[in-house]
Amino acid sequence: MTGIADGRNPRDARVSGEPPAPHWPAGTVAALLAGDAVTAPTRAALRARLAPAPPGPRHLGPAAFAVLAAACARLVPQDGRAVPVDVAGAFDRRLGTGAGDGWRYDALPPDAQAHARGLRGLDETARALRGAGFLETDDAGRDAVLAAVQAGDPPGAAWEGLPAALWFEELLAALVEIDYAHPSAQDEIGYAGFADRPGWTAIGLGEREDREPRPLGDGA
Amino acid sequence: MRRHPEGEAVDALVIGTGAGGAPLMARLAGAGLSVVALEAGRRWDPAADFATDEAAQEPLFWTDERLSAGGDPVAFGRNNSGIGVGGSTLHYTAYTPRAQPDDLRLRSETGVGEDWPLRFEELEPYYEEVEHVLGVSGPDPYPWGPPRRRGYPLPPLPPNGAARLMERGAAALGLRTAPAANAAPSRPWAGRPACTNRGFCQAGCSTGAKGSADVTWIPRALAAGAELRERCCATRIETGRDGRVAGVAYVDADGAERFQRCAALFLCAGAVETPRLLLENGVALASGQVGRHFMAHTGMQVWARFDELVRPYKGIPGGLISEDTHRPAGADFAGGYLLQSIGVMPVTYASQLARGRGLWGEALRAHMRGYNHVAGINILGECLPHAGNFLELSDERDGRGRRKPRVHFTAGENEHRLTAHAEALMRAIWDAAGARDPWSFQRFAHTIGTARMGTDPARAVVDRDGRAFDVPNLWISDNATFPSALAVNPALTIMALSLRTADRFLETARRGDA
Repeated sequence: MTGIADGRNPRDARVSGEPPAPHWPAGTVAALLAGDAVTAPTRAALRARLAPAPPGPRHLGPAAFAVLAAACARLVPQDGRAVPVDVAGAFDRRLGTGAGDGWRYDALPPDAQAHARGLRGLDETARALRGAGFLETDDAGRDAVLAAVQAGDPPGAAWEGLPAALWFEELLAALVEIDYAHPSAQDEIGYAGFADRPGWTAIGLGEREDREPRPLGDGA
Repeated sequence: MRRHPEGEAVDALVIGTGAGGAPLMARLAGAGLSVVALEAGRRWDPAADFATDEAAQEPLFWTDERLSAGGDPVAFGRNNSGIGVGGSTLHYTAYTPRAQPDDLRLRSETGVGEDWPLRFEELEPYYEEVEHVLGVSGPDPYPWGPPRRRGYPLPPLPPNGAARLMERGAAALGLRTAPAANAAPSRPWAGRPACTNRGFCQAGCSTGAKGSADVTWIPRALAAGAELRERCCATRIETGRDGRVAGVAYVDADGAERFQRCAALFLCAGAVETPRLLLENGVALASGQVGRHFMAHTGMQVWARFDELVRPYKGIPGGLISEDTHRPAGADFAGGYLLQSIGVMPVTYASQLARGRGLWGEALRAHMRGYNHVAGINILGECLPHAGNFLELSDERDGRGRRKPRVHFTAGENEHRLTAHAEALMRAIWDAAGARDPWSFQRFAHTIGTARMGTDPARAVVDRDGRAFDVPNLWISDNATFPSALAVNPALTIMALSLRTADRFLETARRGDA
């Protein structure tokens, strides 16, 4: 298996005793993209993600896509973001291109099959655990289904021959990668690394250049 | 660029333009040979083509699918596999430590693993040459290994937040650290600009500072008359009745099949694609070792949050090193490891967080808001060759219609013990530096050993010069030839061996023995 995890606790927002994570000023990414600290290829890449999605048929069928979108709302929530990321749409488009990242677990079927079956599995596990399909279940129910799949060996015929924990890991990694490539997520975490055109000189511990955001509540 | 007419045999045909292929291209062309290189990917113009954006840089990675099996399935793609003129050096972190003499004598010294059929003294002059061409920035004197005749050509790069934190933690434990040797010049070098600290080495250097093959060996090779055929993917190695390579068939950028005859073939496609080509074509398989003994360095990372703002996207990512753990006293394992401070980009970090800690939803979001406080340490540690770790051809076909490689990898007892030792030490360093919420991410780095060198044709694919035992005009130059993994990153050693292979080839040619 991969990853020696330090205790998987998806619902714990913080380890007790640790200070809360900072919040960052909104609009930093947009301001940097409008300025001259970003190279042309970088600006093009980030702006493309802000542009409306290209038109075209969905790869996944309507039922599967609806389950995917509902899962994305729990796995990569967009609440509070001025520009939400359409993670489900981007994932579906990627499935449609057949583009891969260069590998998959041998234990999983090819991506298109794996995801079609896994999404069906979410629905079957919801029926087994909550007596209703994934879409008919409330948020707490959806979280319970996702946690059961992540833990491996959930109820549901779709999981026969599809290792649930591995599939979950693959899905989650793909969704998270789409999310954090987007300016909205990068704004949320105070990331300014793409604004490298002038180079960086203040690179030491605690050092900051004017164009890098400070966390909110950190003084003027 | 000189173009060689299609029907004529060239002196040297090279497959792959990365760390293994590019140096020998330059050396052979410089000696007056006719050289053609086939590169499956394209040639980039970094300033125009490279975005400072992880997702946009996906074209640098080999994305034809590999199947990953075994108890510790290895990640490919962005983890360890490049494509394009420059190969995996396009995405390497520019971390270029030398091996130490005992790295080449693991079996003699510990009773496990394999010895190299080379002495360190034979590699040393090539290390010096490569460090000079790349413009390696590093400390002089270097604290570990034997005394050096020549120091690094350039002083160290400035340390980023992660480097300072690791330095602090290590000092509290009495562990020696030093600025790491990195192939990114701290001052302008050989027509390249100084490193700008953009920290994006692992997804393409847009400034031309990083010593990747495309801005160092390839221009030299082209200036000396080598021909580069980009977007040309080798498919068939043809041998004649005399058992020698006659030439290579390949698919060109327009999808047409072409054939290049050659007097000698240099296979430099990396430890996945090199054995794959040999297996597909039934070439050089007599030893039974092609594809066998796949190794990957133990590369566990420990991440933590700090009260200080680290902003981990700036500075050379591998700023600090310790080799005090090269052969740890009292170890219950053979070999050892180095420790490296690491910066990280947000998509890579978020993805590892998801895979390694299983965080999602608001918990993931909250953790990621602390990204600017994050720093990491990783190890680069020995991996023993195991018979059960190997590459084979599966029955699934990829986008090019070729059988997908399947790699079986399971870490052994030695790797587990080494990793446990290293994890405890990394956590202790981070604890001493003020870490909060440390977490470990197990991973394996690089692809190694699938066409190994040796002295015995029954146990090895190539000899000490990289020449195939069963095919006298086939030479292999890439990470596949390593009989042991080494306790250091491979790039410098691959490039040094590439130059040495070229020199040994030229020597055989002079003797009429090529």
